[in-house]
Amino acid sequence: MSDLKGKVAIIGVGEVPTGKFPDRPCLESALRSARQAIGDAGIDKDLIDFLIPIGAVYSSAYNSDLVCSMIVEELGLKGVKGNAQVFSGGASCSTSLKTAAGLISAGIASVVLVVHSDKLGTGVSTQEGIDLFALAGISKEWEVPFGQHYSSIAGLVTTRYMFETGTTEEQVAAVVVSNRKWAELNPNAMIRKPTTVEEVLSSKVLSTPLHARESNVLADGGSAFIVTDAERAREWVEKPVYLLGDGSRVTHFCLSQEKDITRFGYREAAREAFGMAGLSPSDVDVAEVYDSYPVFEMIALEEMGFMERGESGAWFLEGRTWPGGDLPVTTNGGMLSQGHTGAGGGMALLVEAVRQLKGQAGERQVQGARFAVLTSTGGAYVDAHVEILGTEIP
Amino acid sequence: MEAPRVPSKPLPQVTPWSAPFWEAAKRGELKVQKCRDCGKPFFYPRIACPHCFSEDLEWVRVSGRGKIYSFSVVLNYAPSAFAGDVPYVVAIVELEEGLRMLTNIVTDKPESLRCEMPVEVIFEPVSEDFVLPKFRPVEEA
Repeated sequence: MSDLKGKVAIIGVGEVPTGKFPDRPCLESALRSARQAIGDAGIDKDLIDFLIPIGAVYSSAYNSDLVCSMIVEELGLKGVKGNAQVFSGGASCSTSLKTAAGLISAGIASVVLVVHSDKLGTGVSTQEGIDLFALAGISKEWEVPFGQHYSSIAGLVTTRYMFETGTTEEQVAAVVVSNRKWAELNPNAMIRKPTTVEEVLSSKVLSTPLHARESNVLADGGSAFIVTDAERAREWVEKPVYLLGDGSRVTHFCLSQEKDITRFGYREAAREAFGMAGLSPSDVDVAEVYDSYPVFEMIALEEMGFMERGESGAWFLEGRTWPGGDLPVTTNGGMLSQGHTGAGGGMALLVEAVRQLKGQAGERQVQGARFAVLTSTGGAYVDAHVEILGTEIP
Repeated sequence: MEAPRVPSKPLPQVTPWSAPFWEAAKRGELKVQKCRDCGKPFFYPRIACPHCFSEDLEWVRVSGRGKIYSFSVVLNYAPSAFAGDVPYVVAIVELEEGLRMLTNIVTDKPESLRCEMPVEVIFEPVSEDFVLPKFRPVEEA
């Protein structure tokens, strides 16, 4: 197990509202998020010595510019030694945090800025978005020719999960209701209108048993965070958010090759992360769980050990995960409400975890939150990442 | 008025080491690689055994019988090349040999499908060059 506990901290976060903003260039979302994060940390921009621009998927031309240090120059950062893209789809928040922690621990960098933006809401048409996600991260030989796409992936996982656990469609729909309760309180979320289980289940079926309202919505957005070593963090900011635990597994590329599509790698990832932190799920005040479709949020919570397998549905339905509940889950509304911005869905959850721990979550604030768990996953749920963050080192 | 453009079906992007799989499918045979060193069969084709990393591989024919591990009936917002096919069934089938593959279940009664239902392979031409291995419920055979 790596010796990362409490060695690095997040000192600033930034985020622009998620939604459909045709007149807001993708670059603007990145720059405004980065500037906000630098302001939040209260540091001189030229202290940043490494930049990690996470991949954008709406345009490969834009992405090439990111790779070639565009953000460094646009922000006028004078002290940057390296610009390197980290990209693992929805898991990019976790892999960039790991990368930043490694660079800092090894002495290669001291202050790392991670920034993401994408324009999937208005930079591509609805059908282009569907077709993009019918190809991205899905095998062109073994799955695409059979009409596999993300709705059918979520359908396959939900079918088997319901078959094995006896979870009902009302319980699956309740995840959307829970996330929406939080989104109602989040000014940066795309969809804030309250919903009900009945409304979710009366929406069109995309790919059985998945309903349209159980699908994330593609959006424009941007977010950023800054990482440094714990010593500098304590010197510079009032409330550093320490990385206390980290664990992950890559389990497959093709969904058909995942040995258990009702579990993925969360159990092993969580064992490592909680082990490193010296904490258990009962210590967690807020859980920011990756949710591109309801079933993945349910599986991750159960596999991490927050409840028994097959029990999460009841928790969502009974309000235990809602504002005021005993386990606040995905408190920005997640991709089911805040919107799906490519790799940004996970980034938004990381930003939300930091806000909750710093007491900056406004109406969504979980009182006295000290420890948060963050999960993320990319592509066809090819990996499972679990991070434990906290304002104190236990 | 121009007819809306329907993109042609995406055909498998074949690699040099997977070509024998597709050639067999054209002949109506389902074949997988088997490692001569550790003896394990595997799908999909690789340059080396994913278990013991040996390059000493052979192609073996499998029964084509299996069961549905999971399935999903695509009804709305399919990828554009498949929009004319809805409803169609995407499934993960587990072969008797324990190998899993993504495929389609060909059936007139998608509402009758269940996990663990027995299925068997059928071969469906999708172009002059390609035949896709798909499955149908055994009871409909």
